[in-house]
Amino acid sequence: MFSFFKKQGSAKTAKDRLTIAIMSDRQNGSAFPFMEQMKAEIIEVVKKYMGVKAIEIKKEVDGDVEALSIDVQLETNA
Amino acid sequence: MGIIIAVISGKGGVGKTTTTANIGLGIALNEKKCVVVDFDIGQRNLDMILGLENRVVYDMVQVMDEEVGLKQALIKSKMSPNLFFLAASQTKDKSVLNSKKILKLVTTLSEEFEFVILDAPAGIETGYEHTIEFADRAIVVVNPEVSSIRDADRAIGILDSKSQRVKDGGEVLKYLIINRIDAKMVQSGEMLSSEDILDILSIPLLGKIPEDRGIIDASNQGKPIILDKNSGAGRAYTRIAARLCGEQVAMEDIEMPESGLMHKIKEMFK
Repeated sequence: MFSFFKKQGSAKTAKDRLTIAIMSDRQNGSAFPFMEQMKAEIIEVVKKYMGVKAIEIKKEVDGDVEALSIDVQLETNA
Repeated sequence: MGIIIAVISGKGGVGKTTTTANIGLGIALNEKKCVVVDFDIGQRNLDMILGLENRVVYDMVQVMDEEVGLKQALIKSKMSPNLFFLAASQTKDKSVLNSKKILKLVTTLSEEFEFVILDAPAGIETGYEHTIEFADRAIVVVNPEVSSIRDADRAIGILDSKSQRVKDGGEVLKYLIINRIDAKMVQSGEMLSSEDILDILSIPLLGKIPEDRGIIDASNQGKPIILDKNSGAGRAYTRIAARLCGEQVAMEDIEMPESGLMHKIKEMFK
């Protein structure tokens, strides 16, 4: 009956936090359409010289600095 | 050719399997031939929700590996002659999935059924990427809760980068189902509204399902809640199934608590 006097709910906070979190997820995600192609080509190049187990490419955004980090995992017995 | 729909979510436990079961049965009750396939290998659950766990002999992995024929593995539901079910393997793990075999399975199914509904593993699990690979459309299930929505956005991102249709220059249409809405909490501003969620995910809304205590009872019995015409969730699934079958059904406002004098009187005595 006294719900009018209840404190405001937290849905607004949820929406604000989600909007920011998802925006940053989308920026940091592998959102390039050519990512798979690029990955395959990099693997090809490295493979010429050594064994490749896996490759991980990420776009990282930190303030106004954008960087591409490429992590190549080598075969252990190569 | 039938249409292949993947039912997906970001995290687990949002009601994806319940949704798959109810939508599948709902479509079948609309006189369309429908098959539901459990792709959640190692975590077979759809059979329980559909009440078919005692009838599973062969699973989809055995079909994909051509150990048994599709006809042998398909289980016909007693609730509708139009509903068929293909179980997940319980003994293997999700690494057995491979693109070629999946393509063959879903293509064969789409030749025989008007609707092929795939119950995908959660988006953050392995096996998810494979399940969505050949889907024509996707139904995204979320709860009005931050982690479910955030993970759903990631699952949508994976879908858009791994789907064969997208690789071929096409598009996979995505629809949103918001499950477990508590009208009172939305009204008091304690729960995200469907409008908020649509703003964030920006995909079209397929339906809203209210929180419903009957869901537990339905799963206890293995009778999907769509069969219970008195339940809010059941009616919501009926409307969603009709929409999927091409009917224009207005979006019911389940975010307003029930009104009416009788309801108010009942509330006073709670």
